[in-house]
Amino acid sequence: MLATCKHRRHGFLRSDIKEYTRETVSMKDTPLSNCERDFILKAIEEKKRLDGRQTYDYRKIKITFGTDYGCCFVDLGQTRVMAQVSCELVVPKESRPNEGIMFFNLELSPMASPAFEQGRQSELSVKLNRQLERCLRNSKCIDTESLCVVSGEKVWQIRVDVHTLNNDGNLMDAASVAAIGALCHFRRPDVSIQGEEVTVYSPEERDPIPLSIYHMPISVSFAFFQQGTFLLVDPCEREERVMDGLLMIAMNKHREICSIQSSGGIMLLREQVMRCSKIASVKVSEITELINKALLNDKAARKAGGRCGFAESMPQERITALKTDQTAVEMTDVGETASSIVQTAEAPPQTVPSPSVPVPGVGQVGEVLRNTWGLEEEEEEEEEDGGESSGGDSVEEVTKMDVEQHQGDKSRTVDVVEILDSDEEEDEVVILYPETTKKPKNTASSSGQKGAGTSRKQKKK
Amino acid sequence: MAVDMRLPTVKNSMSLSHSAADRKDLVVPGDVITSDTGFMRGHGTYVDEDKLTASVAGEVQRVDKLICVRPLKTRFNGEVGDVVVGRITEVQQKRWKVETNSRLDSVLLLSSVNLPGGELRRRSAEDELTMREYLQEGDLISAEVQSVFSDGALSLHTRSLKYGKLGQGVLVQLSPSLIKRQKTHFHNLPCGASIILGNNGFVWLYPTPGQQEEEAGGFYTSLEPVSLSDREVISRLRNCLLALAAHKVLLYDTSVLYCYESSLQHQVKDVLKPEVMEEIVMLTQQKLLEHES
Repeated sequence: MLATCKHRRHGFLRSDIKEYTRETVSMKDTPLSNCERDFILKAIEEKKRLDGRQTYDYRKIKITFGTDYGCCFVDLGQTRVMAQVSCELVVPKESRPNEGIMFFNLELSPMASPAFEQGRQSELSVKLNRQLERCLRNSKCIDTESLCVVSGEKVWQIRVDVHTLNNDGNLMDAASVAAIGALCHFRRPDVSIQGEEVTVYSPEERDPIPLSIYHMPISVSFAFFQQGTFLLVDPCEREERVMDGLLMIAMNKHREICSIQSSGGIMLLREQVMRCSKIASVKVSEITELINKALLNDKAARKAGGRCGFAESMPQERITALKTDQTAVEMTDVGETASSIVQTAEAPPQTVPSPSVPVPGVGQVGEVLRNTWGLEEEEEEEEEDGGESSGGDSVEEVTKMDVEQHQGDKSRTVDVVEILDSDEEEDEVVILYPETTKKPKNTASSSGQKGAGTSRKQKKK
Repeated sequence: MAVDMRLPTVKNSMSLSHSAADRKDLVVPGDVITSDTGFMRGHGTYVDEDKLTASVAGEVQRVDKLICVRPLKTRFNGEVGDVVVGRITEVQQKRWKVETNSRLDSVLLLSSVNLPGGELRRRSAEDELTMREYLQEGDLISAEVQSVFSDGALSLHTRSLKYGKLGQGVLVQLSPSLIKRQKTHFHNLPCGASIILGNNGFVWLYPTPGQQEEEAGGFYTSLEPVSLSDREVISRLRNCLLALAAHKVLLYDTSVLYCYESSLQHQVKDVLKPEVMEEIVMLTQQKLLEHES
């Protein structure tokens, strides 16, 4: 690079030449335009986020494990990271001869963002590495003394490598979930000591044993805007670009703070920090639940001998193209037919502005024409079992509706519509008249069953 | 909220010209161009075991004994005299760094801009300190390429009243290979808006400036509200540009204008639908063929 500089006709200072050499190596992110920045900030002032989340909402977290023990993939919205845990027998540190060693390494790969460079320690990578170390090592979440094999001579070194696969904001949270998930999933080889001899058994000889983990620290990130006036949980990449500062709180589900870090130079009030820690404790307990659930699922899948691992978690069967041609449709009298239908149809019912679901799992009992599905969160959908297929007349559906009925009956108040026993109605007829008291079974079953939560009854109380 | 839904169908892709003259020699990286060793290799090729192989995806161009491959999708490779639209990314000592969709950020030296007032004087230390008042990070400018450094970075200048900071308008980012090289890149379209077709693929649409005098050599940006009719024209133009770019039609003032006229029968937001895009581009291409013949 310096050789070509000599041939340049323009006179440049040495400083300029140095800047040029530095620039040709990296690829910067495309700059954010002023209108985009103003738009995002204004939207945040009006309590709106780009993807429609609420201020304290996390993106959808998906945790999958690989075929090997200790490999964990975490998807936080579009942000994707992978953590891999491995172990090795090494000589312990002299100051701590009977403790194992934990080694953390977070790599920002160019796969995640064009702004990341391979092999170069950028500021962000140093910061994330330090935070991950503080969160997991200093909190003593792993019992390092159990990693000792021969005191002073041989201990296990547990190495956690976190690779970023896609950066859509909030790498720290995703990395912490992936790291602790991988550590919980990992199994180290069994070791036996006979006198002076140490035998390390391969996984085929003896089952590998899991690490002893005391607690699961998980980090929650808060982004601050307008000098600390507005805060958002789990910022996405755009929001990260316009934020003023970031507060990262690492906590476990027992409400113990493992690490807290504020960057960006914003000044926070004590109440703000207290509020953030309260929010963090709620989020951490939810995420810990998710991790435990994922670990259980993986365990069950492995026990059942079923296929498990990363390749299986990717959807294979997908419709990618439609093969049918455009079909011609007779359209001459569509207008008249449509207007005649509209005239004879009933007026649409008033929609409930914000139904609240009292208990997860309670579905709509199908009152008259009231259509509230589409207004509840997705979590409800997942909690309901997948037995609800569209328009099925299966027994499980009937029993489910029975259960809901009973629950609905219990909370009934005076002015509630009578509901017949669903066992008798096996036909597909949809009954829509408000005067009769039969419930429109199929509108509820075919589409509304998925956690359609209303609690009009609760509200009337 | 009204939602427009339609089922996907098999798309019948049609192209207007199938003549042999239009047949381009397209290669992908790794394709062998020729095994004849008599040719000199140009950009986009490399020699692999005595065979000339392409290293980029594009069309093969042959000039006497020189073979090169011109890539279809590439970053902007500037030449002296090109008009570019760029965004300021950094303010440094005595110059600005401008992002122009090329491999390196372009440079706009302080000595290459018109100072407010239009006077010609030596740049003093005060000018250096007040650089930020003229152009800040995030501002859009139109400029011309003055020279090219040996590493490929462009040196820009705005030493004419038609260049300078851009005010209210819409920026459309397209591929540089779609912009046709013409004598002038600033057009006042008869439909009621003006357009700057930057050679680097950035196209700037703005309402035609009225009779106001532009003082200060291009640094005065009017913040008066733009009327609704102007906004509609600009939105429609932007959608037409996206339609033309999606079908890889060469962009110049005539093609943009024909596309605008063909799109008048649809609503502005409908122009973004794929089937409407196809229809409009077909009409545009027909009109262009008639115009040429």
